[in-house]
Amino acid sequence: MGTTPPDAGAAELALELRGITKRFGPVVANDGIDLQLRRGEIHALLGENGAGKSTLMNVVYGMLSADEGEILVGGRRVEITSPRDAMAHGIGMVFQHFMLIPVMTAAENLVLGDEPRRRGLLDRRAARRRVRELSERFGLDVDPDARVEELSVGQQQRLEILRALDRGADILVLDEPTAVLTAQETADLFRVLRELRDRGTSIVFISHKLHEVLEIADRVTVLRRGRSVETLDTAGADEATLARLMVGRDVVLRVEKEPREPEAPILEVSGLHVEDDRGLEAVKGIDLTVRGGEIVAVAGIDGNGQAELIEAITGLRAPSAGTITVAGRDITGADPREARAAGVGHIAQDRHRQGLVLDFSISENLALDRYREGTTATLMSPRRLDEAARRLIDEFDIRGGDCRTPCRSLSGGNQQKVVVAREIAGDPQVLVAAQPTRGLDVGAIEFVHRRLLAEREAGRAILLVSLELEEVRALADRVLVIYEGRIVGEVPPTASDEELGLLMTGGTPSTGAS
Amino acid sequence: MSTVPDPQPGSAPEEKGAGATVAARISDQLAVGGVLLPVVTTLFAFLIGGLVVLATGKNPFSTYQAIFEGSGLNWLLPWVGGADRDIAAINLQQTLLITGPLILLGFAVAFAFRTGLFNIGGQGQYIAGSVVAVWIGSSDMGVPGWLQIVLAMLGAAIAGGVWGGIAGLLRATTGANEVITTIMLNYTALWVSFYLFGLGGPLQNDSQPDIPVSNDVVPEARLPVFWGDPELQGLHIGIFFALVAAVFFWLLLNRSTKGFEARAVGFNPDAARASGIHVGRTYVFVMATCGLLAGLAGSLDILGWQFRIATNDIQAFELGFLGIAVALLGRNTAIGTCLAGLLFGALVSGTSVRNLDPAVFEPALASNLTGIIQGLVVLFVVADVMVIAVWKRLSGRGRRRAGGAGTAGNAEPEPAA
Amino acid sequence: MSAVSGMASVGRVRMTPERLGWGGGIVALLAFVLTLPPIAVRTPVPSILLALVAAGMGVAAIRAEARRPGWTAVVAAVLCGVLAWAATTAELGQLEVVASWGALTAAMLRFATPLIFAGLGGLVSERAGVVNIALEGMLIMGAFFAAFGADKTGSWVLGILIGVLAGAALATIHAIWSVSLRADQIVSGTALNFIAAGIAGYLYVDIYGAEGTPDDLPQVPEISLPTESLGFIGRAIANQNLLVWGGLLAVVVVWLVVFRTPLGLRLRSVGENPRAAETVGVNVIRMRYGAVITSGALAALGGAFLSIGFVHSFSEDMIAGRGFIALAALIFGRWTPGGLLLATLLFGFSSALAQRLPEFSPQAATLFQALPYVLTLIAVAGLVGRSRPPAADGVPYQREAG
Repeated sequence: MGTTPPDAGAAELALELRGITKRFGPVVANDGIDLQLRRGEIHALLGENGAGKSTLMNVVYGMLSADEGEILVGGRRVEITSPRDAMAHGIGMVFQHFMLIPVMTAAENLVLGDEPRRRGLLDRRAARRRVRELSERFGLDVDPDARVEELSVGQQQRLEILRALDRGADILVLDEPTAVLTAQETADLFRVLRELRDRGTSIVFISHKLHEVLEIADRVTVLRRGRSVETLDTAGADEATLARLMVGRDVVLRVEKEPREPEAPILEVSGLHVEDDRGLEAVKGIDLTVRGGEIVAVAGIDGNGQAELIEAITGLRAPSAGTITVAGRDITGADPREARAAGVGHIAQDRHRQGLVLDFSISENLALDRYREGTTATLMSPRRLDEAARRLIDEFDIRGGDCRTPCRSLSGGNQQKVVVAREIAGDPQVLVAAQPTRGLDVGAIEFVHRRLLAEREAGRAILLVSLELEEVRALADRVLVIYEGRIVGEVPPTASDEELGLLMTGGTPSTGAS
Repeated sequence: MSTVPDPQPGSAPEEKGAGATVAARISDQLAVGGVLLPVVTTLFAFLIGGLVVLATGKNPFSTYQAIFEGSGLNWLLPWVGGADRDIAAINLQQTLLITGPLILLGFAVAFAFRTGLFNIGGQGQYIAGSVVAVWIGSSDMGVPGWLQIVLAMLGAAIAGGVWGGIAGLLRATTGANEVITTIMLNYTALWVSFYLFGLGGPLQNDSQPDIPVSNDVVPEARLPVFWGDPELQGLHIGIFFALVAAVFFWLLLNRSTKGFEARAVGFNPDAARASGIHVGRTYVFVMATCGLLAGLAGSLDILGWQFRIATNDIQAFELGFLGIAVALLGRNTAIGTCLAGLLFGALVSGTSVRNLDPAVFEPALASNLTGIIQGLVVLFVVADVMVIAVWKRLSGRGRRRAGGAGTAGNAEPEPAA
Repeated sequence: MSAVSGMASVGRVRMTPERLGWGGGIVALLAFVLTLPPIAVRTPVPSILLALVAAGMGVAAIRAEARRPGWTAVVAAVLCGVLAWAATTAELGQLEVVASWGALTAAMLRFATPLIFAGLGGLVSERAGVVNIALEGMLIMGAFFAAFGADKTGSWVLGILIGVLAGAALATIHAIWSVSLRADQIVSGTALNFIAAGIAGYLYVDIYGAEGTPDDLPQVPEISLPTESLGFIGRAIANQNLLVWGGLLAVVVVWLVVFRTPLGLRLRSVGENPRAAETVGVNVIRMRYGAVITSGALAALGGAFLSIGFVHSFSEDMIAGRGFIALAALIFGRWTPGGLLLATLLFGFSSALAQRLPEFSPQAATLFQALPYVLTLIAVAGLVGRSRPPAADGVPYQREAG
């Protein structure tokens, strides 16, 4: 279904996909997708979360096998049943979540699967040499003896690219490569990609970020709900067009937000220092205040201390210094139960891991924090839980089953509704919402946003931590930008992309340095 | 922002926890198999056991029949009469004698499993309970018999609870895997009891210095027998404690706040913790309760029919480990554990030296056969993936979990809220 | 006992908190050794003092965040202090019997060997990401089938081979369950322990009945070295079984293969991040199968040593939990061959001592038998916070994520 401009020229296709279909049970992740990757081009694969981009590329790389369709490399039909096959055909892939062994060195990671030997033993010197040679050849610098866990994210990615190139890849697939990079690292990456392209490597660039696609790609194929919608040149395309193709209708509606006077401060964080699992400081002295009736958003690139900040406030992690008070009550270092009792509600960022016990019913999940209430002689009554649950199911329009249905059977949106319902029903003073719409479809997102605004209207203090700037702009009254564990700036939600981007990557708007 | 769930093989976060806990898999089995699955599993295990018997030149059918008769379950068959019936009655009493403690030991494992813990320490906790039971039971306390019984059982329960609680505490505070710690505690209990009742040990009996055995439980402190002849080891009232424990187990797990916490932690410790449940305290509570049950089992045996501990006996009686098979076969449920306890009780007593006709099958062989069957049962229970897959194909239902990690369930489009 | 800073030094050795802790352990050992022949100080005073010093060093180490060495020193100080005090109250003659170093060291090596083999088996398996609780069962299979095989074929070589095959067979079941069926690895391992004990016991009773294995069971030969005169170590190694040397050799071989060859690199990658390994073309399934089966073969070697190398017979309870002690030694030794070796020598020493204690006091001897298990308990509890198993250890691998 992809429309290729008629003047495809004499260039042979490096990679062609015809009618690729992949099903997971009743779910059709890829539905008859066609794709044409020309030699020496950067071709973007654009789509929302769940559109099927990663699935498609995993099929190409042999991690999954297609149910229907064929793959052609260099014009010839090939069978790819494992990554080894893919590599043999010159396809290399850099995954979104890095496929590296953290405790091993860069050199060891690079040669894994294709190791240089000397008298039966691993030739470490040769491995190191290989890394250095590749670094020079492609201009991607990596220390061969450093353990991967010591490398920065950008360096890890460089290592992954080097590895793919080392195996002779002339088709390189990158899955959301900029998701974890700073602006500088992204610029470096783009430079490298352009160089590779000019040398003849064909590149597939998977992304859901419109501006990046327009910046780096030559052509772009848009996927929507498992189907390829259209392929077009990026020259002359604009964000609005791409967005419309991605979503299928005119761009996402924004929920109406009334201006509201904030009330008294409820959440006060002062001088907060929090260490992460490795004992390094992730939060390096944060002050923030959230008043009743306002939504304060903390925006920033993932991994700058947001997780630890949330954990400290909700009691999952004890801070090493500083204070946290809720309505005047000190909850520094409290455990989750005490934090809740003091009025902290927590919409966790991972509803499967922290938000819900998937094998519990809706009733049980709704009661996960207050199952001790209403017990007579320490015996719980499921009926009482069910009654309470039914009220919440009605109020929050949770669909997919009755109160006894295990949450595992619900769709993502309804699961999130359960979480939101529980947290709000606890009547918290301050609601901490972490990535509240992650992985949700448009309807669910709208619901959550409406609900958060309603709570704001009702006078609750809401701390929103989100990676999506759209969401931040839609909901926040004030935006705090977090970078490397500190709040580096406070801006209104109307601030420009440049300003936000600069702050998020450590620059200062006035000097423009980063 | 779409309705198609995003199956990303590269996504690290979803991989480890979601749905892979023992508790979750067992709940899956419960949903899929119902009663049929344990029955099939058992039959399969017996089948392979029978093959082993066959392979060593004996007749599996007559063997199993001899075991069946040895267990006394034939007493339930209405056409068995006369002298056979009397013998069967005695055998059945033996079976039920063992079933009581076995059920308790099964719960000692089942409760832990529901919380995501694996309690292999039933053996050690049982020993701890036995030691205290025999110590209190053989003392000259000058109190009425029933009180002494109560004290002995209480002491045994506490001893077992402490023994289990240690492992729970270690798990809660240091994260030490309870499998290793409970195994170590098993052996520690074993050697300590050898020491206590061995020659020259502090609890060795007062009358016979050459024999490493404890004092006898005084006659007043022995559990009354209600069926059969006390001289011939009739059935004592201990079995009722087991049945009461079953009710208690069910209530605890399904109706109490502690049980709610245990189940939540068993399915998803992260979510439990985020909602305010103290995971560490839950571990300690659960392990202590399991130890308590196992210790109680020990006291039932001591006060019910053993009346003493000899260092030879301690090792021979490996009920604690059978508890694992009982719990797994019974799918960690109240009724299942009771039924599985009966099955294994029958197996143990049916293969005992007393009850098995050595002409048909050597008892020493038979006890090993029990061990093999027990292992096979656990092995098959735990291969749920294969079993569930087969089951699904047979019943044509593909709705539940289409093959894997816990991504959001149905892909039905969401009506606008 | 001054507070430790990274800059302080003792002599020319830079003192770090870790070194302080380990040093404390050595000082504690010294406290105990003082009271034993040939030094045999008869008053407990110097030993108690040394033990206190050791404890202090341990505490200082703990406060400087070196918890593992620190706690080791404290525990060692307490243990050695008690042992030293006990030694000074004993008769010198008894002590000399107990602490005859040559015999003790020889016994230590012998007791350690089955642990070494089983531990190496566990190492290989866990480095590939599969927990192997069934080491006990594999030891049992090796022990029985080696004895049986040696008996039936009249050759100890074939006996060992058959034992190894039996262990590998059991391990294959574990591999199928853990890798292909993705069953809970600990529960399936436990089940295999039951099955192995049952099969070995069943066949033993059936074939050998009441008399037991024959007295003329073919033995794995001893190797005589002319080192009698080289001090107590020389005496210890003068007459050791072939498989004892085999165990030590195996440590080197396993270290080489796992940490220095491409195969080993891939093995470890499978245990750390199997998905990453898959993306570079490593066959995770095949690797794990190979690792588990190898672990069965190795562990079985340990069992074979026990039956036809050490005790010269088979009996139903002869393994007595050694598989679990080996697992503990593995954890103690941080999943490295070198650490494993040290841990098994420690446990072996404890068993050797326990063997000689009945001279001293039969009751104490019985209690002492519990020591390895208690030590393991402390080790697992105290060290787990620091030790890091392979990242994907125990997590079943799914090729096509749903």
